[in-house]
Amino acid sequence: MTLARRKLLQLVGLLGAPTVFLLIFFFGPLLIMLVYSLLTPGLYGGVDWIFSHLNYGRILGWADTRYEKFDPVYIAIFLRSLKLAALTVVSSLAVCYPAAFWISRMRPGLRDFAIFLVTLPFFVSLIVRLFAWVLILRPTGFLNQGLMGLGLTGAPIEFLYTDFAVILGMTYVFIPFMFLPLYGSIEKLDMAQIEASSDLGATRFQTFRKVILPATLPGIVGGSVITFIPALGNFIVPSVLGGAKVLMIGNLIEQQFLSARNWPFGSALAMLVMSAVLILLIAQFRLAKKEAQS
Amino acid sequence: MMPFDTFPAGVFPAGMQDHTPMPSPLEIIDARKSFRTPEGGTMTALDGISLKLASAEFVTLLGPSGCGKTTLLRTISGFETLDAGEVLIDGAAVTQMPAHRRPVNTVFQRYALFGHMSVARNVGYALEIAGRDKREIRARVGEMLELVGLAGMEQRAIQQLSGGQQQRVALARALAAKPKLLLLDEPLSALDKNLRQKMQQELKALQRELGIGFIFVTHDQEEALTMSDRIAVLAHGQIQQIGAPTELYQTPANLFTADFLGESNLLPVSVTGGRACLTDGQSFAAAHATGAATLLLRPEALSITPPEGHALSFTGTLRETYYTGTDHQITLETPAHGTLHALLRSGAALPGLGSEMTLHAPAQGLHLIDETLP
Repeated sequence: MTLARRKLLQLVGLLGAPTVFLLIFFFGPLLIMLVYSLLTPGLYGGVDWIFSHLNYGRILGWADTRYEKFDPVYIAIFLRSLKLAALTVVSSLAVCYPAAFWISRMRPGLRDFAIFLVTLPFFVSLIVRLFAWVLILRPTGFLNQGLMGLGLTGAPIEFLYTDFAVILGMTYVFIPFMFLPLYGSIEKLDMAQIEASSDLGATRFQTFRKVILPATLPGIVGGSVITFIPALGNFIVPSVLGGAKVLMIGNLIEQQFLSARNWPFGSALAMLVMSAVLILLIAQFRLAKKEAQS
Repeated sequence: MMPFDTFPAGVFPAGMQDHTPMPSPLEIIDARKSFRTPEGGTMTALDGISLKLASAEFVTLLGPSGCGKTTLLRTISGFETLDAGEVLIDGAAVTQMPAHRRPVNTVFQRYALFGHMSVARNVGYALEIAGRDKREIRARVGEMLELVGLAGMEQRAIQQLSGGQQQRVALARALAAKPKLLLLDEPLSALDKNLRQKMQQELKALQRELGIGFIFVTHDQEEALTMSDRIAVLAHGQIQQIGAPTELYQTPANLFTADFLGESNLLPVSVTGGRACLTDGQSFAAAHATGAATLLLRPEALSITPPEGHALSFTGTLRETYYTGTDHQITLETPAHGTLHALLRSGAALPGLGSEMTLHAPAQGLHLIDETLP
């Protein structure tokens, strides 16, 4: 057997099974969704095999079949989902960056324990944790009781079923996603470089801007992307903490499949989210490539 | 000082008309610093250190690890604050000044170059921070790279450089802002032997050329002897001795310095009436107060052929020989004085291992250390 053949066989042996798995269970369903998004909804769910572009027309704002009445309600929901996901990224970054810095400077034993604590929520069901937030945020919940007890507010504040509650909930859920890549790049940070910067005349702020931030940028970008993508498509957090008031694109897709039984329209919406994610990933890939070259 | 206008024009009291004396580039007065250890105790890193540079000298802080030399360097650069004492740079007290405002720069042990910046941005960093003009920065960076022998390497990435080149970039970066004092924290320890020797010579030449003070930290006594104008030997947070390399080598003040710098044979003597007496009865003239002391015999002071005049002799069994090309390093086991180390010129006729031989040392100009051996 030649060396080239042996290498090929090794490659097939190592990557064959996962490739087949992904082809059948990931790429296959995706292809089905793509085809469904171009079909007509069946009367009792399912699809009729009549090709149509109306699903995409509806997303763009024309709900009628003749493209006359323009009402971009779905685009608005999509833009609002982008906004909520972006705000989730910003707030988890604000929480995780200082925390990662702090934890990376702990002594080793304590550090491992702190990282374990960050990942601890994974061990408890997401639904249970989200309903815990309902108990905290509702008008008679801990937060409002506390605020009223301290005399900071006379009447309970509407926390639950607002954008705030959804961003808070998603930040809480995605903190480990943001934390781990950030921690990876902050831990590698060379303390001597920070001292060198200070030695060469830089204030703390200048050192942060010119040395620490550029050195940890890969972690920031990585953590942001890995948080943004699931936040954009999330439907559990907005349905528990946002109620009927805060609708995100994920809820819309869920409704189309489960309540409205309009599979083609749900598929078209899913394609919209998919393409947004793809654009983001391509942008990140390009950025990383540019960084590697310079 | 009285204001000048109280004196008639051109008439100054004696001592005032001559130029004001140049301030010392660095003065440390009674520096003290202790750390809390993780076990809850305290560790004294600096125990009353005073040091003054007379001029733009090359001063080496030499000592074993944990002696306080790095802490001392970090109090000069501003990364550690003193519990007590003063640090003056160019005559101005900087004890409370944060690191980024001090007019000194450091070459770090592992260089600490900024990996995400080009060579040019690394070297120009201090000037960029100071908000200097771009053209000025470019000119200065070129000048600095030329100085350290890396002309034309501006656009290289740090990762593309060899260890020796990174060392030079670190040096150029630290010198770009024209510091009044350059601090070097074991900068050569990561280089291989040949490169290290080359850099030693270059650093020394660079210091003479720039005319600024260098404070060099090392635990390598050979490095200290080759490069320094003066060496400060540190142990237990105190300066054991400070002086020129030859002074420290030939006339160490205490057992620690004698033992730490170079190889040494230390023999107990008792002095009475200007004569020092070895334990085996041999004696020689010594200008030392009556009492117990220690004789320092460097390995190269011993020879096979007896020197002219009065000499000390040591007979014993030859235990080990190492041939280095220029010399034989030998170990002699004597019944009266224990193990002696000697350095004999290559070509000396050595008997076989295990045979008896006698070594001699001239009995004049021998150095006695006040301390007695434990």
